[in-house]
Amino acid sequence: MGKIMILNGSPRASQSNSRRYAELFMKFCSSETAYFNITKNNHEELCAKMEAYSDVLFIFPLYADALPVTLLNFLKSLEVASLKKKPVISIFINCGFLEYQQNEIAVEMMRYFCRQNQYRTGSVLMLGSGEAILKTPFRFVAQRAIKKLAKSMAEEHYLEIHATMPLSKRMFLIASTYYWILYGKKFGTSKSAMGTMKIE
Amino acid sequence: MKLILSDKAINISLPPKSDIVHFDLSSLNIAQCKGCFGCWTKTPGRCVIRDDATKVYPLIAQSDQVLYISHLKYGGYDSIMKTMLERAIPIQQAFIRIFQGETHHVQRAVTAKHATIIGYGDLAEEEKEIFKRLIARNANNMSFSSYKILFISESDIDYTVKKIIEEWGK
Repeated sequence: MGKIMILNGSPRASQSNSRRYAELFMKFCSSETAYFNITKNNHEELCAKMEAYSDVLFIFPLYADALPVTLLNFLKSLEVASLKKKPVISIFINCGFLEYQQNEIAVEMMRYFCRQNQYRTGSVLMLGSGEAILKTPFRFVAQRAIKKLAKSMAEEHYLEIHATMPLSKRMFLIASTYYWILYGKKFGTSKSAMGTMKIE
Repeated sequence: MKLILSDKAINISLPPKSDIVHFDLSSLNIAQCKGCFGCWTKTPGRCVIRDDATKVYPLIAQSDQVLYISHLKYGGYDSIMKTMLERAIPIQQAFIRIFQGETHHVQRAVTAKHATIIGYGDLAEEEKEIFKRLIARNANNMSFSSYKILFISESDIDYTVKKIIEEWGK
């Protein structure tokens, strides 16, 4: 059975939803796993470790419709590192929008990186409504998808998986508004303050 | 107003008394977005990181014409431009709207704009196709009412930008 290296490409790293998703993945995965945050200064160290793993799972959020800079910069380092033994690269991306399809371009960028650098692409999980889903009754939807991802990687039967909250767009709009109002409340910020049109 | 963002120094002279502002992002101090959502939930409309990005994103919002010049990597903007675009989220609200049939963030006071995007570098066809799809998606999230994409070599940047500025002056 292979060994899976999980790399968190979120700028929020230890505070991120990606970390929570990684924890669920590790819980459900029957293979040996090891988790690392990508930081500005550990690219070389992570690239050196990578050869000891059969698989790498990149977990990250969608940023400005694409890969977050944290991950982009790491991929540039990995390209230069030119590993002799290349693991299979799997992708787990989440966005805050309802449509998991909004992640597709970032996945294409990852696939392009893999092709250019002779990495095999493994499984792909695209998650919509990923900012809030773990804090809602629809947590099971994300869990089910992550279980499927973990199984596919452990068994090396790589899959494309997608999931999101089973809500209409209108219902999602109402639910997300409520989510953000509560988020602002933690800092004493009202709905109308959050909705200011003023910039700077 | 019109805004030019480039990820390297470019040799251009702006017409006198024009409403064009140019930032060479490579010369500015712009840290990576921390993903803290502070600009949505703690200090709405203001980034909590008080560096040079705070001079740039208000002008992105105000401009009705933008010209972005960036090296491309893996079919997307390379690090310098991408760092700035990620730091521009204070111009959006946390709240979601339905736009063009999809869920997107509500924009604050952001002027609808025509965007010209110059992607340069040694680009494969496949990379150009990914970039075209990216810009189509950016259009929905960055208030592009229309856009044009130009793929050029690095050596043609100054000439191409000069031509675009001339067009803006007509």
